[in-house]
Amino acid sequence: MPEIVTTILFLLVNGLIWGLIVALIAIGHCLIFGVMGIVNMAHGDIYMVGAVLSFYVVGMLGNFWLSLILVPAIVILVSAPVERFILRPYEGHHSSTMIATVGISFIIQQIALGTYGGIPKKIISPWPISFNFLGVDYPGYRLLVACISVLILVGLWLFLYKTSYGILVRASMQDREMASAMGIDVNKVLITTFAMGSVLAAVGGVLAAPINQVFYLMGDNVILLSFIVVIIGGLGSLKGTLIAALSLCSLEGVLASVLSPTKARAAIFVIMIMILIRRPQGLFRD
Amino acid sequence: MKPLAKKGMDMEFEKVGEKRTTLNYFAITFLLLWVVMGILLPKGARSLVTHMMIFSILAMGYDVCFGLTNQCSLGHSVFFGGGAYGAIFSILHLKFGILPSIFFSVGAGLLLSLIVGLICVRLSEAYFVIITAIFFAVFHLLAMDMTWLTGGDDGLSIKLPSISLGPETISLYNPWVNYYFVLIFLAVSYLILNRIARSPMGRVFVSIRENEKRVQFLGYNVYRYKLIAFIVSGMFAALSGGLYALTLRYGSADFFSFHWSIMPVVWCLIGGLGTLAGSWIGVVIMSLFQYYVSAWWTYYLILFGIIILLILRISRKGILGYVISRRLT
Repeated sequence: MPEIVTTILFLLVNGLIWGLIVALIAIGHCLIFGVMGIVNMAHGDIYMVGAVLSFYVVGMLGNFWLSLILVPAIVILVSAPVERFILRPYEGHHSSTMIATVGISFIIQQIALGTYGGIPKKIISPWPISFNFLGVDYPGYRLLVACISVLILVGLWLFLYKTSYGILVRASMQDREMASAMGIDVNKVLITTFAMGSVLAAVGGVLAAPINQVFYLMGDNVILLSFIVVIIGGLGSLKGTLIAALSLCSLEGVLASVLSPTKARAAIFVIMIMILIRRPQGLFRD
Repeated sequence: MKPLAKKGMDMEFEKVGEKRTTLNYFAITFLLLWVVMGILLPKGARSLVTHMMIFSILAMGYDVCFGLTNQCSLGHSVFFGGGAYGAIFSILHLKFGILPSIFFSVGAGLLLSLIVGLICVRLSEAYFVIITAIFFAVFHLLAMDMTWLTGGDDGLSIKLPSISLGPETISLYNPWVNYYFVLIFLAVSYLILNRIARSPMGRVFVSIRENEKRVQFLGYNVYRYKLIAFIVSGMFAALSGGLYALTLRYGSADFFSFHWSIMPVVWCLIGGLGTLAGSWIGVVIMSLFQYYVSAWWTYYLILFGIIILLILRISRKGILGYVISRRLT
């Protein structure tokens, strides 16, 4: 097989796996927006928190996989009160939520800078096995990440579409006032959804920690991508978000081999603008 | 019934007029204060005040967008940075004088805000916020990346040409000249923006803020008015960026950073949305805060975040809005 084909395949797979992680983050983003109307500027920082916490878990307990359990627990404990006591009054007012979450994002970033430090650090891959794959050694950890992400996405889908609680979440997403009129405890749904969205971002951070460098500003890069994905998918459309995440990330992965990473990002941005001009409501929203 | 209703409306108008007069007195007092301060202040404080006045232009311009028409944009760093680079490029490559370079930077702001506005303004609130934020992020990335053009993090420095006024020539290298030069721009910007806010167009802006649907039903082209407000705001952001670059004699990709997007929001919220001159209070408070607290604590941005949350929680009227509402009732 010619070398160029393997290179492109390699990049495509890389992009797809990164796309799965981004899909986790962006679906969390989309859920939070859909149910609560929060434009969450701090979502990328929760991803960063996930990565930083997993760094500490590896350092203290020596086992990376524990962080997949511990980090969500910590994030739930922190994010639920944040939603209830800080963000609740602004929900539905998009600009106010945006400004408030910018404030939260500053606080999270600076706390991370103060405790973790400003130097990027790397976590050693917890599963240092590589598969020979068309003559290229492919790290097994990435494949494992893909499997875990798919499992989480399937679990999320089962939760949202096959359980009675999922119906409550979807009902609140469609029409919050009506849902509360129907006797749904919207208060509980809101807290759970926010915690769930945050956990998705944090898990994305944990999974990405051994692939990317752990840095206190690593969220800035991801939040941009997540916003673009959510916009292209159509705000509030989970299916659209998933498709947009996978296709955009694999496209960006391939483009990054030809252009510089920044130019690839700019190309994605141009695509987003084109789509917005044609369809202002995003691709998958009617 | 009818005369009564009319009387009520007259009173309403008087109130609006009174509010505007109060604001004018406030702005004139503030400007006179700066004129006197220019003579009294020591050197370091004078340069701080020069920066504050430049930021005041940005804050006022942003107020047209956020305070008057309720479009919360996070993309103003694009116009600020665009204005700064407009001034720098025109001096560096085109050998413009100071005043033409400022016109050039305002023109750059006009162009950029027209492009961004045409794409963003017709979208709903959530999309508007997110897409202006994406614009800022992409322009910042590009500015950092294209070092051959922008100088990246190191930036570009410029040599200022002197301004000739008839037989005399003055130079912005003199801090006094720089101070009063910026002050004149601040005063002129206030006059223009105040005129816009009091004009029929300004009234339409405010009614879009209060009830967009109703304005649409009255037959106004809401999209066009919002776009005009956005462009005006972008032009003043560019003016402020150009002045900032001229004062520092330097510009870098940092001028596109998030700082210049979020600060105007905070300034306007502290000072009072829709009051134009009110944002100057926000500028003074936040500049002093940054100047002193950042020297005292490295992670002062935590306090900054807390301040943002507090202002949102306490009142969206801001300081000046609060004072005026107390005076009028």
